[in-house]
Amino acid sequence: MTASHDHAAAPPPLPAEATVPAPQVETDIWQPLPTRARTLATITTLIGTVIPLGIALGVGVVASARQPSSFAIAGVPSSFAIAGGLLLLVPAWTVWIARRRWLRTRWRLDDDGFGVRRGHMWRSDTRVPGNRVQHLDVRRGPLERAFGLATLIVHTAGTRNSAVALSGLDHMQAERLRDTLAARAARDDDHDDA
Amino acid sequence: MTTPEPAASEALLRQDRERRLHPGSWLFVLLQNLRQFIVPLAVLLFAGGRRDDGYPWWLPMIGVGALVVVSIWQYLTFRYRIEDDRLIVRSGLLERSVRQIPYSRIHNVAIHQSLLHRLMDVAEVRLESAGGTRPEAQMRVLRLPEALALEQLIRDRGQAVHAGADAGPASAPAPAGITLLALSSWEVVKLGLISNRGMIVVAGAFALAFQALPDRMAGRLLVDYGREAFGYASGFAATWMAKGLVLLAVVGAALLLIRAFSVLLALLRYYGFRLQRQGRRLTVERGLLARSRSSVPRRRIQAWTMTEGVLHRLFARRTLDIDTASARGADGQGDASAQRGLDALAPIAPPATCDAIVRDVALLPDWPPQAWRPLHPRAWQRLVIGDVLMTAIGCAVLVWFFQAWGALALLWLPWSIFVARRHAARAGYVVDASLVAVREGWWTRHWRFAEVGKLQAVELRQSPLDRRYGMASVWCDTAGASPLATPLRLRLLPLAEAESIHATLAHRIARRPLRW
Repeated sequence: MTASHDHAAAPPPLPAEATVPAPQVETDIWQPLPTRARTLATITTLIGTVIPLGIALGVGVVASARQPSSFAIAGVPSSFAIAGGLLLLVPAWTVWIARRRWLRTRWRLDDDGFGVRRGHMWRSDTRVPGNRVQHLDVRRGPLERAFGLATLIVHTAGTRNSAVALSGLDHMQAERLRDTLAARAARDDDHDDA
Repeated sequence: MTTPEPAASEALLRQDRERRLHPGSWLFVLLQNLRQFIVPLAVLLFAGGRRDDGYPWWLPMIGVGALVVVSIWQYLTFRYRIEDDRLIVRSGLLERSVRQIPYSRIHNVAIHQSLLHRLMDVAEVRLESAGGTRPEAQMRVLRLPEALALEQLIRDRGQAVHAGADAGPASAPAPAGITLLALSSWEVVKLGLISNRGMIVVAGAFALAFQALPDRMAGRLLVDYGREAFGYASGFAATWMAKGLVLLAVVGAALLLIRAFSVLLALLRYYGFRLQRQGRRLTVERGLLARSRSSVPRRRIQAWTMTEGVLHRLFARRTLDIDTASARGADGQGDASAQRGLDALAPIAPPATCDAIVRDVALLPDWPPQAWRPLHPRAWQRLVIGDVLMTAIGCAVLVWFFQAWGALALLWLPWSIFVARRHAARAGYVVDASLVAVREGWWTRHWRFAEVGKLQAVELRQSPLDRRYGMASVWCDTAGASPLATPLRLRLLPLAEAESIHATLAHRIARRPLRW
């Protein structure tokens, strides 16, 4: 929470600070997402799974309790046992997937442009060349702000990949990345007009 | 519609003043607005107009009157002005807007003439830029010579701005157009036979009838007439054989009718089709009753699609389509079906002509490529897996219902293996310094290609199944691609090859400035 408080209190970077060369984004290596992103992914996945699952199972248990229970194990109706088991197993599975997805998501900035790799079963490697970037967004939801994270969205003029979104970036890193990419796009535009 | 003399266009469009639309233009705006209200109005007039509910018949006329006032007001407030490098459009009833449109930003100029427009010798002009769903400016309506002059002006000025020094002075006369393709009526008839667009319309009409007619009337009519016809047929066709023949004849007649309808639609839309190239701009004219003429600069073309179905092959023809990045889809006036954009460069043409157009327009002197690279050697196995699964499920269902006879469905397998093998043998791709091209399909074939400079992003994808076979696919993203069209993707490549193509393309694109 302190990070978000600091950020809320502090004004946006002053022009004087902007003249000091900001730490550059490291290029030419595939960079992982910060560990905080894994925590956030775990939490959002848990919430996203447990609530709908709990509602569905609750309805199911109530419905089955209306009928005379056919058999019970150690006094507990079987429907409770099944519901409990599912409530444990399904979130564990989705959380495992989310954490693995976090582990497999890497991004990279190099001379050619921006690249995102993701997926374990279904893998993809998207490259957006720097001069094809149309505009950039850094978006932060309340949870992401609490964790000091951000989502970077790179827009191109394309159709299917017209918006490449990478969530779970460190906030400062995301802003640096955005500025670097924007500077490149502007530079290439100048070349084009010349 | 013919190309005007350059000198005449300069004289027609002097720059010293603001210009208005054609004085009759409010009439067309009114008609356009009325089209949205015509159904409620008709319902009010005829269905709801019973005398006993004390509902005055003239009430809807107030609405019409209001629309007339609005239309005239719109006409009075719409002005445009032609500057050296831009067009300035002022419009708006209460909320005034001034819009500046540089000529170099205009991707597509579309001139449309409906039958009524033609009677009054006027035309509607739409100026489209990249992206968005609405045109930059829509001039409803201008006098036809004025509209053509405006098109010419945008063509000349837009080019002059872009070409810069190498194109010479802007006042140089535009070279005469080269006709790349002109379709005779017979060709358009062939196009209708091939396209079968009538089927879609008939299906749509059926859907509409079922929705619009009250109380399942459409369904009842269909069943009643069907039963009556069947009874009539049973009257003179006693045996099952004869009944079957009658049924076949009916279905055949229906199919013939639909084809005839398709031909009619094709004639309406593509009669007098002419594709011309004037310098760097392509112009397409078409239409029987409603004529339309749209023109697009050559370099705005984002990607190309060539298709060849079974019927195409029968007539030895192909279809050549292009993607442009200009506004498409509904234009906000319920005109989604009009599709005035320039989508088909060659709705139907012999393969050699298609290739010649590509060579000429796309600046790809080597088209078609000689050396198509093959897919992964086991690509056909990967293709057939889905069919095997579907066949297995279908077979299980059939066996459940028909016992052992259901196993006949297994005969589908050899066929699908054959098709998959043919597909894999024919499919191929080419990636070189200037071009990414894919060809796919055996039964219906298509070629899709784009210049490397037009690619926006590349993606390497691998599904679990792909990984098992050591394959991957490379997806190339271009602007303006329709979501329904086949994507520009290289499927079922060996992994190493896919990775190297992915890296090479990313590198090459980054070295080419984005040129819209």
